[in-house]
Amino acid sequence: MTTRSFSSVDTGEALPPLDIETTAALVVGGALASRDYTPVHHDRAAAQAQGLPDVFMNILTTNGLVGRYVTDWAGPDAVVTGVKVKLGGPNMPGDTLKIRGKVVAADDGRVDVEVTGENSWGNHVTATVTVALPGA
Amino acid sequence: MLSAEKKKELEEAIYAFVGKPIGPPFTGRDVVNEPMIRQWCDAMGETSPNYLDAVAAEKSPHGGIVAPPMMLQAWVMQGWEMHEGYDEPKNEEHRLHKLLTDAGYEGVLGTDTEQSFSRYLRLGDAVTADTVIEHISEEKATGAGVGYFITTRATFTDQNGAELGWMTFRVLKFIPNQPQQAASDDDGAAQPAKPARIKPPMGHDNSWWWQACTDGKIQIQRCGGCEKLRHPPRPMCGACGSMEWDAVESSGRGTLHTYTVIHYPQFPGYEFPIIAALVDLEEGVRMMSSISGCDYEKVEIGMPLQGVIHEDEDGFALPIFRPREDSQ
Amino acid sequence: MPTTLKNEAVIVGIGQTKYTKNSGVSELALASEAVRNAIDDAGLVPSDIDGLTTFLLDNNDEIEVARSVGIGDIKLFSRIGYGGGAATSIVHQATMAIATGTCDYVVAYRALNGRSGQRYSQGVSGDIVTSDLIHWSWYMPWGLLTPASWVAMFTQRYMHEYGAKAEDLGQVALAMRNHAVNNPDAFFYERPLSEEDYSTARMICEPLRLYDCCQETDGGCAVVITSPERARDLRHPGAQIRGVACAAAAEQEQMTSFYRDDITTLPEMDQVAEQIYAQSGLGPQDIDAAVIYDAFSSIVFFQLESFGFCKVGEAKDFVQEGNLSAKGGRLPTNTHGGQLSEAYIHGVNGIVEGTRLIRGTSANQPERNDHVLVTSGVGVPTSGLILGQLT
Repeated sequence: MTTRSFSSVDTGEALPPLDIETTAALVVGGALASRDYTPVHHDRAAAQAQGLPDVFMNILTTNGLVGRYVTDWAGPDAVVTGVKVKLGGPNMPGDTLKIRGKVVAADDGRVDVEVTGENSWGNHVTATVTVALPGA
Repeated sequence: MLSAEKKKELEEAIYAFVGKPIGPPFTGRDVVNEPMIRQWCDAMGETSPNYLDAVAAEKSPHGGIVAPPMMLQAWVMQGWEMHEGYDEPKNEEHRLHKLLTDAGYEGVLGTDTEQSFSRYLRLGDAVTADTVIEHISEEKATGAGVGYFITTRATFTDQNGAELGWMTFRVLKFIPNQPQQAASDDDGAAQPAKPARIKPPMGHDNSWWWQACTDGKIQIQRCGGCEKLRHPPRPMCGACGSMEWDAVESSGRGTLHTYTVIHYPQFPGYEFPIIAALVDLEEGVRMMSSISGCDYEKVEIGMPLQGVIHEDEDGFALPIFRPREDSQ
Repeated sequence: MPTTLKNEAVIVGIGQTKYTKNSGVSELALASEAVRNAIDDAGLVPSDIDGLTTFLLDNNDEIEVARSVGIGDIKLFSRIGYGGGAATSIVHQATMAIATGTCDYVVAYRALNGRSGQRYSQGVSGDIVTSDLIHWSWYMPWGLLTPASWVAMFTQRYMHEYGAKAEDLGQVALAMRNHAVNNPDAFFYERPLSEEDYSTARMICEPLRLYDCCQETDGGCAVVITSPERARDLRHPGAQIRGVACAAAAEQEQMTSFYRDDITTLPEMDQVAEQIYAQSGLGPQDIDAAVIYDAFSSIVFFQLESFGFCKVGEAKDFVQEGNLSAKGGRLPTNTHGGQLSEAYIHGVNGIVEGTRLIRGTSANQPERNDHVLVTSGVGVPTSGLILGQLT
């Protein structure tokens, strides 16, 4: 795994797509790995009481996947300095989360990547992740 | 709906929370440690050696294992006790939410969050969060219902009091709109249906056309009196007054008369952006549809199009147009 | 009996509520307040009123408004369909009632919780059950659900035909905003818009960006209409109706007249223009100021052309020359800020502003105010009127 140099990145570059099969293991495991025991993320009855058919992914897991998506592309030594996230519809087991990304700004050693995550409900997440890259 | 007086009372009470810490600073139960990092990486599919491989991480700019940055908040989550819920408020944020819940603002929806990381966390770091209710909006009308946006800001510090980063989180606390129409109970399951495109109501004047779509055909109504073609279908010919008609099958070949790219608002059941298209069919009528298989930035008035019947997952069929190679 | 509506009726009272994003009151409360304010403004009492007219889309029944305001007996109750196209059509209804002696004083009103209640930007859905549901169903399955999407279709074609650019549309939005900045009733009072704000705002339906689209507002407006004889005894100088007309043209659909050979003009608005110019004996050169229905910036273009302020395809040049400005423009337009920047009361706030212009009390009052044009909704069966000084 090598890390991208800042000079090799241009605005408009598309990141390789990533499709994540959402499983109950991912939803529940992600919630517990982020120490989020809110019942709707592990208890289907609690999720149904809120009007959704199944447990749904917590925000920390969504953020974790978005972060991983960007650093998988940028490389291990890229440093994530910030993230802005707009939340959309739920992501539930059985659905595919289609993560796509595009470089929207590159300035002074920092790159903004716009990431979208869509599933069959529509937009699940829209994020802008800022990473610092070596070789400015 | 609340009376003006009650609302004033409620707003005075909730705005008093602005600027308040939700409680005393909270220090995470565990310092940054490898087992929790590994558990996170397993779930997220992280493979970066900087999080997982002590030997490789030593050579990284961090000089040793670090935690994934997005994990910052996880170090100060309440964990197990969260499963009990907060019917009994345990901090000021819960008390604020409860005031609103009791006034009918029962819904809660996370809308956006922003984080900034000053440095990556190293093994042994102890994280403390100091969270403040930063802002409460005026009452807003939203797609979900009328409510207030509440923004909290957490500042994260390490064992030496140095800042590690911050996070803002915005939720909408709202009076839910009338519930969506109940899901059909044909299948006996109380599950909401997956959103799908809005279906036309079927009447005498249009159902035959949609049925033809299901059979794989794009039809154009033809007057039985003067043979004039017309679309959308109507019961009488505006040219000769005849109520007799039949239909011809369109080749689907056409050119783009005008279009719009719809970005907002985004309705469930559709993929956005939508390229909505008005197509001049070669038979001489115009047809509303949409375009797929083309980057929306490349759409141009006058471009050649080919209509095909598209079938949704739920079996609904309708014509959709694609760019057409003129050499065909 | 008159054979034309020219000068047969006068707007003698105007009323409005506060314009907000969340009124916290019922639509009937808004309607009652606006109607009551209009009656007070005219120096009348509720029992003088004997006719009420409003939009088909309005949720406040004439009889409920009459009871609420204490109007008593009424001889006219009427409603006009087709969304914003009704705005000056309700004045048309009132004028006919006055001209024929059916009524002495008619109030035309419109009130809506357009932001906190049903929001038009949220689009039509399969849940509404109306006789024109089949019409909408030729668009809904493909995702055309909102007024912005329908208007964008015409706008795109217009821009293609005539070479109009985004910055030309922007001139309309900026001109309206410059007016609203001086109008304390306007949502955007003291909140200017820069060219950069305009051009970087999010895209709604190409080519329409956020500030090309009107607001959504909670509020109400009403006007009192009577005969010239009665008007002369009342408190304010009246705004006399020189001409008023409505029209639905061949191949008309609601918002989606996509099947005409040329979709870059508005034949229904051309016909309204022809009718009211003929009725009044006036022409575009006689119009000193205008309130042009601006649910979207681009529809101002179509109307400038329909009413002959410029040639077809040349609105882009007309707006670029600063002609819409109250500060010395050829045609001060939407001096209240329009629906883009004052409030969206479905065009009836435009009739109130037209009356103010004739009275000389607009927040952006131009010097000349002999004749003011007011138009209604675009892309639907529509209407328009010309106001003048009471003679």
